[in-house]
Amino acid sequence: MTDNKVLMQIRDLSVEYKTRLGMVSAVDHVSFEIYEGEILGLVGESGCGKSTMGKALMRMIQPPGRISGGQLIFDDEDIMTYDQKQMQAFRGRKVSMIFQDPMTSLNPVQRMDEHLVEAIQVHFPEISKEEALVKASELIERLGIQSNRMSSYPHQLSGGMRQRVMVALGLILNANLIIADEATTSLDVIVEAKLADEFRDIREEFGVTMLVITHNIALVAELSDRLAVMYAGHVVEIGDVYHVFDDPLHPYTKGLLHSVPNIKLDEENELYKMPGEPPNLTHPPSGCRFHPRCPKAMDICSRLEPDLIEVEPGRHVKCWLYEDHPEKTESTPEVAK
Amino acid sequence: MSNSLRRYLITRVLMTIPMVLILVTMIFFIMRVLPGDPIRSQLGPRVSEEQADALRERLGLNRPLIVQYVDFIGDMVTFNFGTALTQGERPIKDELGERLPATIELTIPAITITAIIGIFSGAYAAKNRKKPIDYIIRLLSIVMSSIPIFFMGLVFQILFSVRIPIFPLSGRMDTLMLTTFDSPTNFYVIDAIITRNWPALWSAVTHLIMPSVTLGLALSGVFVRLTRVNMIEMLQSDFITAGRARGIAENRLVYKHALRNTFIPILTMLGLQFAILLAGAVLTETTFSLPGVGRYLVDRIQLRDYTAVQSTIAVFAMFVAGVSLLMDILYAFVDPRIRY
Amino acid sequence: MKNEIDINPTQEAQAETPEWLLDLDKVGFVRRLFLARKWYGGDWWFVAISAVFLLFFIIVGIFPQWFAPYDPSAEVGPSLLAPGVAPSSYVLVAPIESGNITVKDIGDKTNNIGFVIGSPASQSLREATDALNDSAPEGVRYQPRQMRYETLEEGLDALAAGEIDGFVASPDELSEVLDKYPTLQIANTLREDASKGFVMGTNQIGQDVFSRIIWGTRIALIVGLSSAMISLVIGVPLGLISGFVGGPLDRVLTLIMDSLYSFPGLILAIAIAAVLGAGIGNIIVSIAVLYIPTYYRIVRGQTLSVKKELYVEAARSLGTSWTKILTKYIFPNVIPSVVIIFSVNVGDAILTEAGLSFLGFGLPPDTPDWGIDLARGQDYVRRAWWLISYPGLMVSIVTLSFSMLGESLSEILNPKLTDR
Repeated sequence: MTDNKVLMQIRDLSVEYKTRLGMVSAVDHVSFEIYEGEILGLVGESGCGKSTMGKALMRMIQPPGRISGGQLIFDDEDIMTYDQKQMQAFRGRKVSMIFQDPMTSLNPVQRMDEHLVEAIQVHFPEISKEEALVKASELIERLGIQSNRMSSYPHQLSGGMRQRVMVALGLILNANLIIADEATTSLDVIVEAKLADEFRDIREEFGVTMLVITHNIALVAELSDRLAVMYAGHVVEIGDVYHVFDDPLHPYTKGLLHSVPNIKLDEENELYKMPGEPPNLTHPPSGCRFHPRCPKAMDICSRLEPDLIEVEPGRHVKCWLYEDHPEKTESTPEVAK
Repeated sequence: MSNSLRRYLITRVLMTIPMVLILVTMIFFIMRVLPGDPIRSQLGPRVSEEQADALRERLGLNRPLIVQYVDFIGDMVTFNFGTALTQGERPIKDELGERLPATIELTIPAITITAIIGIFSGAYAAKNRKKPIDYIIRLLSIVMSSIPIFFMGLVFQILFSVRIPIFPLSGRMDTLMLTTFDSPTNFYVIDAIITRNWPALWSAVTHLIMPSVTLGLALSGVFVRLTRVNMIEMLQSDFITAGRARGIAENRLVYKHALRNTFIPILTMLGLQFAILLAGAVLTETTFSLPGVGRYLVDRIQLRDYTAVQSTIAVFAMFVAGVSLLMDILYAFVDPRIRY
Repeated sequence: MKNEIDINPTQEAQAETPEWLLDLDKVGFVRRLFLARKWYGGDWWFVAISAVFLLFFIIVGIFPQWFAPYDPSAEVGPSLLAPGVAPSSYVLVAPIESGNITVKDIGDKTNNIGFVIGSPASQSLREATDALNDSAPEGVRYQPRQMRYETLEEGLDALAAGEIDGFVASPDELSEVLDKYPTLQIANTLREDASKGFVMGTNQIGQDVFSRIIWGTRIALIVGLSSAMISLVIGVPLGLISGFVGGPLDRVLTLIMDSLYSFPGLILAIAIAAVLGAGIGNIIVSIAVLYIPTYYRIVRGQTLSVKKELYVEAARSLGTSWTKILTKYIFPNVIPSVVIIFSVNVGDAILTEAGLSFLGFGLPPDTPDWGIDLARGQDYVRRAWWLISYPGLMVSIVTLSFSMLGESLSEILNPKLTDR
């Protein structure tokens, strides 16, 4: 997967928002890439900044938040330089989003077909209503909804059907990248599993790239090719999903994977709880933001922030355990292949 | 008609009856039970006790309260409103019927003005929240709702009738023209059109402008704020964000999607506004000397004609309940969640 | 593990946060109020400005005598005097040898004063005499004999001939003819303070408009605040109980309140006031009835939604008594809304009261009330604009202050409207 073309490059992105108690840095100088055709999972605790990241990729951060720095390169163009009209053309067409709650994410006074036709006509005004309707019906059928339900209002459909309409809205314009923002969080386990399967099918059939944002590690383990772990506004580890699961490098990733309940009833393995709490992002900890909770914290960790470096091809970690620095007093282990 | 719609409509219609009943009962008791002797005030101190009693007898006021009440309700239901005290004891029903068109001609343009100003200012302010224009609109709306209607009317009269004579000062039509004006329905505007009396139409319309603008402006303050609050909430909802994620332009999101959803609570608010509209009409009709039901009420109260007062207020209550019902029915048809 | 904070390029964000923002929780209440203006923006200023205005008005309402130059019901000047215009003062003409005598001097001596029959001079003389008598010691009473003449010349002739001691006329009339009477001169103005104008003019009875609106503030505030208090005291508990207890009581009350709420308020107030009669207490009651449903509805709504909250359910499962739930959980949530409603309520009540008085159903006719002044001034719209402008403006400004306070508070306190 790593020798695929880069679809979107995020460079040094920072998102902050103003609160009564100060500036919260929700995303802090984050850089990574999304490759074409992959499913990238983005996980982390609540409040780590992953949802903000998702919205930021489409420049959908509303006041009092704003993107305070960085570049978002899509198709060799930095969308940070786009004006409003260009952004409106970009959203939905190049990158689209699937939301968490399909009941509230659909316009209650608009019919299903109107939703889809509008999306088409906003981007392609030359397409007539009839043509648009045909396209919409085709897509709906492929997703498993009978086209005669198209003239229904959202409240007349079941939850699963609504979610499929949401997916349809994400696909209707043949976007290159689909961001699924906690798309399965409000669904029960069975529907969630079905949806995960569908995502995989969609990737097969339509060749779209997906960014799956979730706090459900199990989902991401099943679905994604690569995994990115976020903590307190930073990406702390990113790499092939199997490698990360087999051998988590960052102490936070280790703790995170450890705390997933194991269905095997094992006397030795109590439910692991990571000590401490997520930091207050108005004044985040100095140096590495994880150091107050880190079992492997060193002297340098409280003073300087590590960089996200590639420790092996396709694997990046942001941790002093794997990075060298003149001030560092401990030795840096070689990462085993 | 779907099941839920049918159920909703039936419930709503059934609800109207007790509401009107309560109001009419309240009026009944206010008129009779509160301290103060209406008959005495009506006749004055010089009339002898026997004559006062005779009047009481005639009006049926010395019967037991329950009997009076049942009679009263019966009267109301059959629209038997009794006769007016003065003016040759005309049936009140006729008096009211004559004056209703004037009030309607005033209130319909007024509520249109209120709705237009309210909805668009409110939406615009919500879209540009916390920007200077938002504060300006809010300030203006509060100012509008703080100025007494009659004061606004008087100021308009001074400015646009006395200082700069653009509009006529008061009344429904030029008095001279009135003598030759043929008015079958008593709706001056409609009648002028029907009889193709163009000068009369012009006169009627120009006489309507100041009063309806005054009333419309005065009421718009509250409406702007209501719309704005609803729109702000609406603009924060998920489906608006989802729409934005599909590349729908901001203006379209605000004026098409959010506004259409806000219409539903706005419609309900419009129904409530109607009550305030009637109160405002009383003041506006007094200020501009329009012979409508509002002024009729004031005149009758001043003359201590309690039968007329009672009946007029009862009619008001029925009217308000009727409009409220109408609004709710409209609401049911507009909101697909109830319709289907 | 040392915890030094080094200057590090990635730590810029933290250094930029001003210190006062960081320790908001540790700062005192007053300072927090002041610092909050940055966060709440324009609304903070709205609240502050309207609070200042209201404080001012309340002071005026409590101590109108400090602000009003005259008694509002006294006729202190000629009728319909425009603002700032000095009333034409009448002067006393007398023989030069009498010197600068005054009415008092004449009254002490021979007591004959003349004026042209039917002229306003007689009014001036009367006023001057009354003023003299008011300030005179016990038992002393001045009553100059009034001699009437057909024309100015006749009167001045009589004066020159010594038949009378003084003559009252206006300076304008005199300027033309006084030259013909070398033995006469203008001795004095009739009243010392006659040359002062009235800052807002006088009404048709001669009362000072300015004093009237100052005293009107007191009435307006009394009516507004009292009726709002009554509405609150009745509406809030009813709403709490109704929302909390529910059941048939709730349904019946809601029906009654909804009916009341949907009815035009002014008309109901008129009906009640008309039956009860004039009188400030009755007006207060009439208006109070109108706003009870508003408190009821909002409080009941909030009670219902708080009741559904999980933490209330949790408390109940722990066995908390319902009085404690009411006072500890529900009531504090309800307070901000009630404050807002109260503020808007007072403003509205003042408007309603003005409307009632305007229509003639309000306070007794001699009360210095803005609505009454507006009603009286209606007939003089063309020639005396100041009769309605100042009272109208006062109503608007005071109502505006209350409404602005309520509105901005609502914007600040409403959780749904905050950006988060």
